[in-house]
Amino acid sequence: MAYGATGQPQPSHEDLPESVFKKSYNFPPFFSPQPTSLTRQAQLKKWSEFIQRYCRHYRLFQLSIIDTLQSPLFYNARLKKGLSLKDAKAVIEYMASKDGDERAEWRGPEKAVAWIWWRKPEEWATLIVNWVEETGQKGTVLTLYELVQGETTEKQEFYGLDTEVLQKSLNTLVKKGKAQVFGTEDQQGVKFF
Amino acid sequence: MFLKKPDLTAGSRPTLSPDEVLLFVQDGVGLYEGKYKIKSCQKGHAYLTSHRACYVDDADPRANSWAVDLKDVEKHESQAGFLKSSPKVTLFPKPPKRRFGTIGKAGSSQSPSFQRVASSSTPSTRASSPFRPSAISSTPTPLVIGTWVCPICSFSNPVPSNFDPTIATESFPIPPCLACGIKPPFPLVLKAAVTANAKRLPAPRPESINLTPDSHTQSYGDEVSSENITCPRCTFHNHPWMRICELCSAPLPVPDSIQRKALEDSVSRSESPGPEISGLSLEEEHDTPSVKFSFRNGGDRVFYERLKNAMIQRKWLLQDAPPLPRPDLDRSPTPLGNPALVPSSESRAVAVGIAGLEQRGLQTRKINEAVLGNAFEDLEALMASAKDVVALAERFAVESGSQTGVPGVSSDPLVSQSAAALGMLATRDMIGDNSSALYISELARNLAEYATDDQRGILRRQGGTMSLVDLWATFNRSQNGVELVSPSDFHKAAEAWEKLGLPIKLRRFKSGLLVVQQRNASDEKTVGQIKGWLTSLKIPTAATSEAWDRSAYGVGVTAQQAAVQFGWSLGVAAEELEMAEERGALCREEGVEGLKFWLNYLIEDD
Repeated sequence: MAYGATGQPQPSHEDLPESVFKKSYNFPPFFSPQPTSLTRQAQLKKWSEFIQRYCRHYRLFQLSIIDTLQSPLFYNARLKKGLSLKDAKAVIEYMASKDGDERAEWRGPEKAVAWIWWRKPEEWATLIVNWVEETGQKGTVLTLYELVQGETTEKQEFYGLDTEVLQKSLNTLVKKGKAQVFGTEDQQGVKFF
Repeated sequence: MFLKKPDLTAGSRPTLSPDEVLLFVQDGVGLYEGKYKIKSCQKGHAYLTSHRACYVDDADPRANSWAVDLKDVEKHESQAGFLKSSPKVTLFPKPPKRRFGTIGKAGSSQSPSFQRVASSSTPSTRASSPFRPSAISSTPTPLVIGTWVCPICSFSNPVPSNFDPTIATESFPIPPCLACGIKPPFPLVLKAAVTANAKRLPAPRPESINLTPDSHTQSYGDEVSSENITCPRCTFHNHPWMRICELCSAPLPVPDSIQRKALEDSVSRSESPGPEISGLSLEEEHDTPSVKFSFRNGGDRVFYERLKNAMIQRKWLLQDAPPLPRPDLDRSPTPLGNPALVPSSESRAVAVGIAGLEQRGLQTRKINEAVLGNAFEDLEALMASAKDVVALAERFAVESGSQTGVPGVSSDPLVSQSAAALGMLATRDMIGDNSSALYISELARNLAEYATDDQRGILRRQGGTMSLVDLWATFNRSQNGVELVSPSDFHKAAEAWEKLGLPIKLRRFKSGLLVVQQRNASDEKTVGQIKGWLTSLKIPTAATSEAWDRSAYGVGVTAQQAAVQFGWSLGVAAEELEMAEERGALCREEGVEGLKFWLNYLIEDD
């Protein structure tokens, strides 16, 4: 549960891994909106990929725009340049649209916090189903805690998955008729068919 | 009516009306009405004022003074003196027919003066004619009979007994010659009668007259020979009454005595008061006589000059505008009275001065109002004329528009009509390409030559691209203030460069900026130049170390740096950089340092 809290620790501006922060991160025009449509599309695409790499690296499932403005994601301490609030929202808006492959989703109408789908719920569901089949646990009842916090799933990617994200992914399985969720709010179980 | 009675002052001078001014005074003046002297007005003073010409008699000023209003004068003449005649100034009255209501008054008023003229002129004429008494004395004895000689048959005929030489005219019935029946001319009979009357005075002459026709031998006597007329051709001694020689029929010279008598006769007839009186009575009904001033002591020229000036100025017309002269008369006595009454009245004098200043300001304001009113009236008239010109030009445009069906035809009348419609942009576009205004096309060529002149190098120094406003300023500055070009004409000429195939062209940027370029300039070339420049900036300098990878990205440049690099103006540089950005060659960085342009690595993969 420590990882699911909203008060996520922000990474420091030191020791930024190059696999995440690529060359464009040190290109000053990267932080200014471009008026030319062709260049603008290229710029937004790079920002989308960059944000997904960043959240995957730090296992962030949602972003608060205001809290993240000073993080290395939107502010380059070396160049002393960063995106403004308006520009950052524009980038997330792009990610939430079909043009951006719907890699983001606003959590409320005020558009302050957004899910970052560096892996979509359907994709998470696929991972879980594959694991259940590999371990031969079809037909048995598993608790949600066991799935994301249990010892058996410690080496899996969905270990530490956000609870809400887990529920979203299981709901996709329920719609397909491949799983069933039991129990009350506190104690929930799932059985895979 | 023409002569009026003036009011005299205590000093026997004409009383002047409020706005009347005395111009000239002359003594030794006599007054005439028409051709006759006014006896009681022959010695006095003549006063010329701005309104009247007055005669004031010296002997009896109250009774014999007269004035003529200058407004009633039709014209005036000046006659120089001759022998005993003094110089005169004549005033002719205006015809009274123009005022029908005053004809009766004029007639009635003229009769007393006419009587005076008649009574005054008769004694003077009697005194001046010594022949008058003999004429009067001869009237009671009309029984004298003379004879006249027929010029055809030389027969001596008697003069009719009822023939009176003082009264008879050509209409008098004269009987024909008793011998040949030819009617004689009137002057011949008249001369015969006059001669008979003249010869009655000496007693011995009638006897010699009776003897002469009877015998020629007695005519050679001493007494008779002195009166005979010698023929200049055949030297025959003819009778003094003969006009043609009896022998050779040559015309005989007239003796001096007869000539002198004839002159006296004509003089006495002209001075006779009888017929003139009746003539004047006839003239009275038609027109009033003129008035003459006779200047016996000189001064006629000065009088006449000032009379002409008064007639030109016509100051009596000011009587119709009473407000103007009244304030002057009211103000003029005030300062004269103040110092006499109170010697130390400086405060009142200052008040008068301020009032004068206010009056002067008021007059200045009125003058300004008049000037402005005239200016606005002229402006409205000019606008009305301009409307007519515009309507005419529109009609030309409509008529020339019908000829657009003929492509490629550019006739002279069409061009001239287009020139007349210069400035009407919407209508001129309808005419077509072939009907460009001559002025605009010539201006376009002139501008192209000016911009591409190698000696000046105007376009070259601007990096090959120059804003239209800059070229307009440079061109007008080179004209030294003569024949400047208006912005609209300059714009039209620039638009015509493409049509005329000139070596420069007009181009419009996205922001609306108009620039002048060489014909062969293109965006690709400009983008290539910019990219080459930015690529050259990738080489790092030891002086500075950037936070980014300079060897990979180079540096960002501002419009000012680009202007310095390529020689453009700042506006052109900004437009060119934005054009390159629009084409995807550059991208921008906005920050506190300003707007910078970089090579576009955003479109490349990381």
